[in-house]
Amino acid sequence: MTVTAVIGTVLMVTGTVVSVLAAWGIVDFPSPISRMHAATKPASLGLALLALGAGLAAGSWRLSGVAGLIAVFLFVTTPISGHMLGRAAYLAGQAGHLVHDDLARAHPEPLRAGDPVRGGFSVTRWAALIAVWMLLWRDVSIGTLIGGTVIAAVVETVRRGFSRDTNLRVWGLVVFLVRYVGMVVSSNLRVAWEVITPSNEKIREAIVAVPLKTTSIPAALLVANAVSYTPGSLTLELTDHPLVLYVHVLHFTTIEDVHHQVAHLERLVSRALPERTTA
Amino acid sequence: MDVVVTVIQITLALGALLALVRALKGPDLADRIVAVDLVLILLAGGLAAQGARSGVETFVPVVVVVALIVFAGTVLVARFIEWRDTQ
Repeated sequence: MTVTAVIGTVLMVTGTVVSVLAAWGIVDFPSPISRMHAATKPASLGLALLALGAGLAAGSWRLSGVAGLIAVFLFVTTPISGHMLGRAAYLAGQAGHLVHDDLARAHPEPLRAGDPVRGGFSVTRWAALIAVWMLLWRDVSIGTLIGGTVIAAVVETVRRGFSRDTNLRVWGLVVFLVRYVGMVVSSNLRVAWEVITPSNEKIREAIVAVPLKTTSIPAALLVANAVSYTPGSLTLELTDHPLVLYVHVLHFTTIEDVHHQVAHLERLVSRALPERTTA
Repeated sequence: MDVVVTVIQITLALGALLALVRALKGPDLADRIVAVDLVLILLAGGLAAQGARSGVETFVPVVVVVALIVFAGTVLVARFIEWRDTQ
């Protein structure tokens, strides 16, 4: 057995433990939204670890690369589906007993794309999108080049619709990603602990409205995603004019605590995606 | 390796059974879809483990498809729940 095979096996075993704890969690937790806490955090990490581990254990770097792409996809989509399902469950009156509820008094205006921004053409972004497409097809040819260009054009058009003059700082992004991985791990450990300890009495669910300081939609979306991976909190709603994030927390202490936590994430995000001051 | 993969697959299957308990119990559609999603994710995990044992790479598209279906399905059901409640 080679070293990569051992690492792959360890990753697969960890992924298995994480995913099974998620299954245990959705049986054990008391209310629908708390069960979404149990499902969203471990499910994405569990499958990501299993796919990555399988790639490494099979000894194929190409497989591991594709598994990494699957992992990124999972980490982007799982908080979105958790957010939509949580909001639907809340509107259906399935929220259970809430200690504090800011969403009841709010009349949220749904988030919409801003005015399309002209320009912003970047060779690196197009090349990266085409490269991802070729990697997915595992084929470098004229066909995948055309396909990748079409995909890149679609993605860039959508992205431009959302862009409100936001820059990208590579160093800030690296710092953010490192902290993000740490958050994913610690939130999973927290869920695991909650599932293993039998008592559900300490759970005090609440929904807190947190006004964001940023006006940039990409930054707000990144904060919303990151909040879903911090221990014991899940994004339920994000509204525009002004940007307000509604966070569902499992262990409510004070409103200031939640505000403080989100503000910390927002500082990290704004270092990665600072707003352009001179437009 | 074979033993490890078998143990992983049995554990994942037990987890899927647990998730099915929640899918049957409900009580609401939101709970059931969370549970069914988890069953699919555990299934994809089991297939990935099988890929590690056999070295057959066909598990990759399956995992991609499962990830897509789980996302699209959940969003669809969430939309449906919101629509149902406005009726």
